[in-house]
Amino acid sequence: MLLVPLSIVLVFLIGAAFWWSVGSGQFDDLDGPAHRILEDDDSHV
Amino acid sequence: MHVAAAAVHDPASAAAPVQAACFHCGEPNPPGRTWQAAIDGAERVFCCAGCRGVAQTLRAAGLDAFYTRRSVTSERPVEARDEWAAYDAIAETTGVLRPGPDGECEISLLVEGIRCAACVWLNESYLRRQSGVTEVSINFATRRARVRWDGRKSKLSDLLRSVAAIGYRAYPYDPRRREALARAESRRLLTRTAIAVLMMMQVMMFSVPAYISDDGIAPEHQALLDWASLVLTLPVLLFCAAPFFKGALRDLRLRRLGMDIPIALGIGGAFVASAWATWSRSGAVYYDSVTMFVALLLVARYLEQYGRHKAADTIEAIARELPQTGDRLPRYPDASIVETVVASALASGDVVRVPAGAAFPADGCVLDGRSSVEEAVLTGESRPVARSAGDRVLAGSVNRESPLLVRVTAAGDATQLAGVVRLVDRAASQRPRIARLTDRVAGAFVCALLVIAAAVALTWLALDPSRAVAVTFAVLVVSCPCALSLATPAALAAGAGALARRQIVAVRPDALETLARVTHVVLDKTGTLTLGALRLNDVIAFGVRDRQALVALASALEQGSSHPIAAAFTDAAPPLAGVHDILAVPGCGVEGVCDGVRHRLGRPAWVGALHGHALPAGAAELPPDMIVTALADERGWLAFFVLGDELKPGARALVEALKRLHLDVSLLSGDREETVQHVAAATGIASARGGAGPEDKRAAIARLQAAGAIVAMVGDGINDAPSLAQADVSISLAGAAPLTQWTADIVVLGTDIGRVGDAIAGASRTFSVIRQNLAWAFVYNVVAIPLAAAGLLTPLLAALGMSLSSLLVVANALRLTRMHTSARRATSLRESPAIVPEAAA
Repeated sequence: MLLVPLSIVLVFLIGAAFWWSVGSGQFDDLDGPAHRILEDDDSHV
Repeated sequence: MHVAAAAVHDPASAAAPVQAACFHCGEPNPPGRTWQAAIDGAERVFCCAGCRGVAQTLRAAGLDAFYTRRSVTSERPVEARDEWAAYDAIAETTGVLRPGPDGECEISLLVEGIRCAACVWLNESYLRRQSGVTEVSINFATRRARVRWDGRKSKLSDLLRSVAAIGYRAYPYDPRRREALARAESRRLLTRTAIAVLMMMQVMMFSVPAYISDDGIAPEHQALLDWASLVLTLPVLLFCAAPFFKGALRDLRLRRLGMDIPIALGIGGAFVASAWATWSRSGAVYYDSVTMFVALLLVARYLEQYGRHKAADTIEAIARELPQTGDRLPRYPDASIVETVVASALASGDVVRVPAGAAFPADGCVLDGRSSVEEAVLTGESRPVARSAGDRVLAGSVNRESPLLVRVTAAGDATQLAGVVRLVDRAASQRPRIARLTDRVAGAFVCALLVIAAAVALTWLALDPSRAVAVTFAVLVVSCPCALSLATPAALAAGAGALARRQIVAVRPDALETLARVTHVVLDKTGTLTLGALRLNDVIAFGVRDRQALVALASALEQGSSHPIAAAFTDAAPPLAGVHDILAVPGCGVEGVCDGVRHRLGRPAWVGALHGHALPAGAAELPPDMIVTALADERGWLAFFVLGDELKPGARALVEALKRLHLDVSLLSGDREETVQHVAAATGIASARGGAGPEDKRAAIARLQAAGAIVAMVGDGINDAPSLAQADVSISLAGAAPLTQWTADIVVLGTDIGRVGDAIAGASRTFSVIRQNLAWAFVYNVVAIPLAAAGLLTPLLAALGMSLSSLLVVANALRLTRMHTSARRATSLRESPAIVPEAAA
């Protein structure tokens, strides 16, 4: 009885977290970061 | 123009008709103070002076039909702050605008606020009425307007202000702004998709108990689960499914039938029925079907959008290659003063320094320095080419090794790169016939579907009212018009994008479709299959002098001549000093004196007349397709030079590739018959004809067409105009020819002839994917709709079937985005004797 409302709250929390992560641009470029680790130029690190 | 004055009433007029929402923008009117005007023959109320101003402007321009055409209320006009004047100066300094010699200007504008086809119509008609405007076309998909007008009659700011006057906002097109819009769109869709998937999983969890329990669960538990599902489905319906409802509403207002209508009806109806069942605690609930349907449909749309953006990115990437600034040397040759200026502010004649690793900001000619340059953007050729003083460099190409000083010959919109971008842009702003056709078919499909759904609903109400909702929902949801509405545009965009990556641009919108149906390919020889320039292939020496000395002598004799043969010699060796009294004899050759002895270079018969000896042995066996030039002095023969037009590197591979595509290849040329036959034999073309003038070529193509062939003509785009026009589809290799002279339907940038094969293969793949999708859609719908109507499919199964079907067609269309890799690899392996690292990697 308690678990069902709890799961709803949880789902909404996850949804809000995802909303934030999309808004902050984490999903804009899904290929770039994977290639970036292969680049030799580490001068800015 | 007839100008009807709109009746304007006092704001406080007591006779104000009661209208809650502003006539123009649809916002609620503020209490008390309103503005009115007579529009469309009735008194209308507006929320602000701005909206009324817009409406009156429309009325005065006779464009008030907008209010009957539009499908969504317009955006409120932004408060009148005249920012537009600033754009005149900005456009001038940044070079977005570059008036032609007769004051004609062309610009790309990004129009904000366009939401439907009526907005496009309104903006186009209104702009067309502005003074001096000659051409306006707005691309609904990209929201970009191409405007051409007389710069002496109107300023840019006048146009922008006139767009603002009707309630939209136009800005000179800036790729970054468009990118930002595209990113926002993609983020919104991703959020919608992810939330729908999340909710779907949770709703599924809640519906599992009902599915797995044999004897049913306690009613109060079931009620709790139903209420929980309702709470989770609400955001899916209100937020995630909003695009479907908006689309359906838009379609209804435009009185047309789109695929969003059955979707919206299906999910809306099922949700309302479920909510009623939950409230009244009787009947079945379909929350799981609704959420899953929305989630999977959004996944399909997200994939489709991803593919579309990827294709657009390819095109944008070309434009983005142009660097923003350039280092100008205002006091050249004094190189100590360097000023950094905006690239488009550079003018012809400026000298710029381009450091190693940087891109050229403008087209130009190298003044000083030696480096290698990568022209991949313009030619697709990734290997750097050597460039030194006197060579041409193109904006957007990258300087690889060392700094170069370049004198600018063309900057801003005049560069070759800008020309390519305009070409691609124009191609993208037109809709191909197949897309319009599928739209119409989709409309008919949806109409038929709605009729079937209504019939099914009535039938089941009569037979078994308890199942009517479920069956009607299943029918609405199971049908899949995605192959028409979603997958065909996606396939077209993906196909065009993949081709654009290979520097192939379809200039005419239907060109790809025609290309996919081609049965015959007619090739031109000179400049298409061959390099188009004579080269010295062989030297047959008859004396003691070595070949190099003989070529140098010939080069000296030819040095003043402009004959094509002369270039072959002067390219091969520097002229020998001490040759004088050079005399050109037209039709025969040249004569001159070297070391006190007269020499002749030219036709063997004329040259032989100098000394009277017979032709030496071996001269008769020279290849017939080559041009043979003899060199002799007064004592006898010195050498025979064999000159020929060389085959392009990819010519043979192209013919092989075309044959593999089961196409008939023929060669038509104005050259000598023997030469043409030789080239045909060397490349493996069975049907070849020489000595054909432009009119003969056109007639030959017309004969092929009369026999039922669909002919693609490959030419250099400049000559051959009649045959290019006669052919069903024409392809031209751009090479170094000026862009304005291109007349072909499809332009292959660069000189790689092999791309012609890629273009045809790409086009036929694009259209075979579209055909596969349409065939699948036909079979699927013919099987699924009757099953659903017969009540054999549960709503969940129907939603699953339709979603999987859309995913299938979209995924099939997206295969096209990857088509370049395999083709490229195969070409490079075929053409190179050794496996180059690039191909092996």
